[in-house]
Amino acid sequence: MDHTVHTAHAAPTVHTRRNQRSLSRAERRRFVGAVLGLKRSGAYDDFVRRHIDHYVSDGDDRLRAAHMTPTFLPWHRRFLLDFERALRRVDGGVTVPYWDWTKDRTPAASLWGEDLMGGTGRRGDRRVTTGPFARGNGWIVKEGVTDGDFLTRDLGRPADPLDLPTRQDVAWATAEKVYDVSPWDSTSPRGFRNRLEGWTSDIGSGRWRNHNRVHRWVGGHMLGGASVNDPVFWLHHAFVDLLWTRWQRQHPDAAPFLPERPPALGEPQYRRIVARHEPMPPWRTTPQDMLSHRGIYRYAE
Amino acid sequence: MLFSRTVPRMSRRRLIAVAGTAVLGAAGAFRGLSGRYFPPDEGQPGAPGGPAFDETYRGRRIQGEPTTGGAAHGPHGWRVTVDGKPLGVMRRADGSYLSMVDHYGSYGTPLAAARGAVDELGEGQALGGLLH
Repeated sequence: MDHTVHTAHAAPTVHTRRNQRSLSRAERRRFVGAVLGLKRSGAYDDFVRRHIDHYVSDGDDRLRAAHMTPTFLPWHRRFLLDFERALRRVDGGVTVPYWDWTKDRTPAASLWGEDLMGGTGRRGDRRVTTGPFARGNGWIVKEGVTDGDFLTRDLGRPADPLDLPTRQDVAWATAEKVYDVSPWDSTSPRGFRNRLEGWTSDIGSGRWRNHNRVHRWVGGHMLGGASVNDPVFWLHHAFVDLLWTRWQRQHPDAAPFLPERPPALGEPQYRRIVARHEPMPPWRTTPQDMLSHRGIYRYAE
Repeated sequence: MLFSRTVPRMSRRRLIAVAGTAVLGAAGAFRGLSGRYFPPDEGQPGAPGGPAFDETYRGRRIQGEPTTGGAAHGPHGWRVTVDGKPLGVMRRADGSYLSMVDHYGSYGTPLAAARGAVDELGEGQALGGLLH
């Protein structure tokens, strides 16, 4: 079975996404350089805006393609592909690395070094002051929620510490045999998608699981609508994307995406979610198109 | 087995969360006296959003009122401001609220979402107008 991705320009070769911890110093520099190139051209802020525009919550009676929805995974796969293609136009040797947050779990990890993501924010205004994405080094936030034009982080939330998700937390999601279940939103009681996305109705720090918990752990911009301003967004989502691939490998007989057909008129999710063969705004790409990245990229694991 | 170990772990985490909430509930009554900060986002999902509010929280003026009719981008059923600047608030299917500042917490009421946004804004940061 061969699934192809809708692309205007098919990539001539399969490129490899690697764990960020395995990048050489030169590779780290090239990745950062390509991100800075996109920032300078204005393209980076288009990605920030696009992510904000597609954040629709499931209490709204509107179509939601990106979050709290079965297409959380294929939507972000396409979003990352667009970003990676843009990066590779700047530097054809670059791919999006992934951050395995079950292993690199502290602000002391090399991920947060001055030559990659830079460190946490300072006390008070949470401004990032080290690394290439510090305001003082030229990274200016233009599409923010606040009037500050600097990137913010609050790694690990020291005022009320919480841990990154663990391997067991990931297993709690990947053990699910079904991709997603009704009501296909943040209250879906089972299913791989919602358990990986990480919505619960719990209280206390147990409410955040997996993907959501990582956004909470990084804090600052990553917590809000303008999370894409923090380039760690891409490394986080590359790992989420890899976990989707692993889930497929673990459950080869499961339906790879649900729902198969759109909810009918009169059903609560009518016109609010995207079914397997429907386009995901803003693209014409369908979840079906995104079921496999074979022939496009692979993960070095 | 990885998975069988996961279940009791999650249950334990939930128990700790519930116990923590009970403590916060008791301590929260003294917030005004002690001036200490407790996470305000422990609400009751399913509440209709509560009454309009206008208060000072950690030195910020937070105001909110229900609106009629929802805009595609903006306050869905509620108009909430922090120091007069609009805070985008969205509703989740379980009845809780999210804000543009904190997309991943779930707050029982718009008031709790506004307080949570203040907690996350950091000192000296004002809202900048992006809603949703």
